[in-house]
Amino acid sequence: MKNPIESLLEKDFHIVEKRKILFAIPLAIVLIAAILMIIFNFTLGSPLNLGTDFTGGYTVDVQLPNKLTDENFGEYRNRIYDLFEEITTEDGNTYSVRIDGIQRQGSGASSAIHVKYFAVRGVSESEMLDQVNPAIQKKIEESVLLLIPKVDISGKTITLTYGEVLSPASLEIRKTAFSNLLKDELRDIVTVSGEAADAVKLNPDNNKQIVIECETVASTDEVKSALAAGMKISDSWSGQVVLSGAVGATVSTELIFNAVLAVALALVFMLCYIGLRFQLSSGLACIIALFHDIIIMFSFMAICRIEINNTFIAALITILGYSINNSIIVFDRVRENKKSIFNQNMSAADIANKSVKETLMRSINTTITTLIMIVMVAILGVSDIQIFALPIIMGLISGTFSSICIAPSLWALFQNVGKKKKNGLTKKEKGLPAAQTEANA
Amino acid sequence: MEENTSLTEVKAGEVEATKKAGGPAEYKKPHKAVKKKSTIAKLVLIGIVLVLGVIFAFVPMQFGFTNYNPFAQSISLGLDLKGGIYAVYQATNTDTENFDSKMEGTRSSLESLLVSKGYTEATVVREGESRIRVEVPDVEDTSEILSIIGEPAEVSFVLDETSETVITGDDVVRASSFFDSSSGGYAVSLELTPDGQDKFFKATSEHVNETMSIIVTIGGESTTISSPTINSAISGNAIISGNFTEESATKLADQIMSGTFDVALELKESETISATLGEDALYYGVLAGIIGFILVILFMCLVYRMLGVGASLSLFLYVVIYLFFLAVLPWVQLTLPGIAGILLSIGMAVDANVIIFERIKDEYRNGKSILASYHAGFKKALFAILDSNVTTIIACVLLLLLGTGSVKGFALTLLVGVLISLFSSLVISRGVIKYFINLNSYDAKLYNLKRGKQFAGLSADATDAAVQEVMDKEAEEKRLAKEEKKKMKELEKSAGKARRAQESEGGEA
Repeated sequence: MKNPIESLLEKDFHIVEKRKILFAIPLAIVLIAAILMIIFNFTLGSPLNLGTDFTGGYTVDVQLPNKLTDENFGEYRNRIYDLFEEITTEDGNTYSVRIDGIQRQGSGASSAIHVKYFAVRGVSESEMLDQVNPAIQKKIEESVLLLIPKVDISGKTITLTYGEVLSPASLEIRKTAFSNLLKDELRDIVTVSGEAADAVKLNPDNNKQIVIECETVASTDEVKSALAAGMKISDSWSGQVVLSGAVGATVSTELIFNAVLAVALALVFMLCYIGLRFQLSSGLACIIALFHDIIIMFSFMAICRIEINNTFIAALITILGYSINNSIIVFDRVRENKKSIFNQNMSAADIANKSVKETLMRSINTTITTLIMIVMVAILGVSDIQIFALPIIMGLISGTFSSICIAPSLWALFQNVGKKKKNGLTKKEKGLPAAQTEANA
Repeated sequence: MEENTSLTEVKAGEVEATKKAGGPAEYKKPHKAVKKKSTIAKLVLIGIVLVLGVIFAFVPMQFGFTNYNPFAQSISLGLDLKGGIYAVYQATNTDTENFDSKMEGTRSSLESLLVSKGYTEATVVREGESRIRVEVPDVEDTSEILSIIGEPAEVSFVLDETSETVITGDDVVRASSFFDSSSGGYAVSLELTPDGQDKFFKATSEHVNETMSIIVTIGGESTTISSPTINSAISGNAIISGNFTEESATKLADQIMSGTFDVALELKESETISATLGEDALYYGVLAGIIGFILVILFMCLVYRMLGVGASLSLFLYVVIYLFFLAVLPWVQLTLPGIAGILLSIGMAVDANVIIFERIKDEYRNGKSILASYHAGFKKALFAILDSNVTTIIACVLLLLLGTGSVKGFALTLLVGVLISLFSSLVISRGVIKYFINLNSYDAKLYNLKRGKQFAGLSADATDAAVQEVMDKEAEEKRLAKEEKKKMKELEKSAGKARRAQESEGGEA
C-alpha cells in the first residue's frame, strides 16, 4: 500500500552532511552563467539580453491613407515583421532589426501603425539615426504603402492597381472589401448588373489588379472621392512614414532605485522580525537563501538569453515572497524541534536534518501546486507571458532547493560557529538528563 | 508542549488498552444528530454563498432595467491587454539650461501624477530630444487625457497696485481641491515651498488692504480668477476661491499641478492605441488559469481527499474574493504578467492548507483522533503560516510605500492576495473542514490519514468524545493553574507591598 513518495520520506537524507555537494550545484550554475556572460559580452555585445523596457529603442509611425481593419492590420503587421528582418542601409550594410511591438494607433482616417524596435546591437546611436532609421523609413514606404492601390477609371471599368504582386489570399480579402463598398458607399454612384460580388474580378494576368465592371459610372472625381470616403483614403493618396527618433526606457532608473531601496529596507525589517520570532541565524540563512534564488534567476536569464523587461521585476518580487516563505516553514520546524525536550541533546545538524525531513512533504506538495499553475501559463500563454513564466518556474525550483538544501545547512553551520565561541560555558550547562532522550526513539 | 506530551501519554495508554482488548474498539454512534443537521445547514449556506459569488463575479445580469456588470469584467486592464490612449507632449522651452535633466524630472513628475490617479500601468517615455509620450491604459476617449493630465496651467499671484508677481507655479508643491466650509463652496489649496511661503507672507504683510489677482494662464490665454483684498498677512498655504464646483476645482488643481513641471509642455497629439498583445493573449491566459485551477483542485482532492475538498471550497472563495478586490481597489491595472502572478498566487494560496494538512497527518500518525488531530494541526500550523506570511507582507508594504509605477501596482496585488489567502485558509478552510469532521469523525480513509507503526492497531475513533473531554479537562486545568499562579503573584505582590509599607513606616519611626 505504500506509495514511493512515502517510502522516500522514511529515509534520512543527511542534508547538512552533504552540504558540500549541494552547495556546489548553484555555484556551478553561477559559474557557467558568469563565463557565458563574458562570452556574450564580446560576441553579442551585452552580457544580458535587456529588453526595450530597460534600454529604450526607436519608434516609427506608419500613417496609412486607408482605413485600418482587423484583417488588413494583421496583414500590415506581418509585412512589417518580414521587412524588418533585412534592412539595407545606404552604406550597403544589412541588418536584422528586432521589433518589440506593433500597435494600432487611432482610428478611422487618422489611423497609424506604431512600431517599436530595438537598436541593432553593435551599432552606435548616431549610425542608427543617420543610417538605419532612414533605411527603415524607405523600406516601409516602398513596401507597405504600395498595398494601397492606384485607381484608374476608363469608360465603365474601374481598375485598381497595386504596387506589387499580391498573394491570392490578400487579393481575395480586397475583392470582398470592394464588393462591400459597391453595396454601401458606392451604391448611388456606381451601379452594376447582377450581384456586387460578381462584378469585382481579379486580373489573373498580373495578380496585382482588381477590375470592377460597371453598368453606369458617375464622374471620375465622384468615384474617387466616394472610394476615398469608403476606404478612408486621404486626398494625397499616399501615407506617410514618420520616424520619431530614440525612445527612452519605460523602466526608469528611478523605478529600479526605489524598488531596490524598498527591498533592502524590507530585508532589514524581515531580518529583525525573523530574529525576534526565531533566531538571528535563521534570519541570515533565510536571506542568503533568498539571494541564492535571485542570483540563480539572473543566471538562468543569462544562460538562456531570455529577454529581461519589466515583467522580470515582477517575477523577482514574486520569488522574493515565495523564497522567504519556504525557508520560514522549515525554520518553524527547527524552532519547534529545538524547543522540544525530546531533542535536547541533538546536534544542530541533526535538528536541521529532522526538520527538513518533516517538512519535505509540504515542500513537495506546495511546489507541485504552484508549478501546476505557472507551467500551464507557460504552455498556453503567448510568447510575452512565457518570458514572465520561465524565470518564475526557475525561481520556484530554486526556492524549493534553497529552503531544503541550503538554508537549514547554513543555520546548522551558524549554530556550530556560535557554539565554538562560547564553548567552555555551555558544555557544563547543557549536561542533559539521559532519561528524556529515550522518549525520542 | 505540555499538552502534547500528556496527550501522547493518553494515547499510549489507549494503545495498550486496545491491544489488550484484542482488536479495535467498536465504533459507537455518537449522539450528534442535532449537531449534524446544523452542520449540514452551514455547509449548504457556504455552498450558496460560493455559487452566488461565482455568479456575481462572472455572469452579466439584468435587474429590471439596470444591467449588472460582473466584477471580474470590470477589473482595469493594462496596455498590453486592452490598449488605451496615447498623447505626445512637446516641450516648448527647449533652450533652457540642463534641459535634459529637466525633461527627466518632468517625465517622472508625469509618471507619479498618473500613478496618483490610479494608472499604475501607464507608461511615460521620452521620445526623441524634446517630446514625451504618455500611454494610459483602459481609457477609451482621447479627450480624457485632458482630464487625467490636464492642460498645463501656469498660476501666478500678482499684486494689482504694483503689478508685482508674488508667487508662480514654481513655488507650488501640491495643488488640491477641497470643500471650503467658510464660503460654502469648493476651492483650490496650494501647498507652497518654504521659499514660496516666505515670499507670500512677506508680500501679504506689506500690502494689507490692497488687492491681489490670481491669474491662471492656459495655452497662452490668461484669465483672472479673482482679485481678493488682502485682509491680513497670510502664512502657510495659498487658497484660490471662486465660483468652483467640485469638478472645476479638481480640474484647476490638476492643471496647476501639470503647470509645475520643470518643462513647459504642449499637447501635440492624442489618439487611441490598441493592445500590444492580441485578443487571444487574454483568452489563453484565462484558459491556462482555469485548467491550472482544476488540476490544483484535483491534486488536492486526490492527496488529501475530504480535507482537499475543504481546501478547494476555500480556494473557490479565495478566487471570488480576490477578483472582487481587484475590481474595487485603486492602483490595480492588470497586465498579462499580472494575471500570471494572480494565477501563481492561487497555487501559493494552497500552501497554507498543505501546511495544515501535513500537520494533521502528523498528529494522526502519532496517535491522535481525527478531531484532536484537526485541532492540533491547525494550532501548530498557525504560527508557521503567520510568520511566513508576515515576512511577505513586510516586503509588499515597503514596495507599496516606496515603489514607483508598476511596482506599486504589483505589490498591492500581491499584498491583497496574501491577506485573502490567510483568511481563506485560516477561517474558511478551518470552518469547512470542521463541518466535514462533525459529519464524519471516524473514517480516517476519508481524510487520507494513516497511523504510524506503533499506533497501527488503534481503531477509528469512537474515542473522539473521550479525547475531546481530555483536552477540555486539560485546558480547564491549565486555566486553573494560570489563575492560581496569578493569585499567588497577586498575593506575593500585596505581601511585598505590605512589607515595604512596614519597612518605610519603620524608617519613619
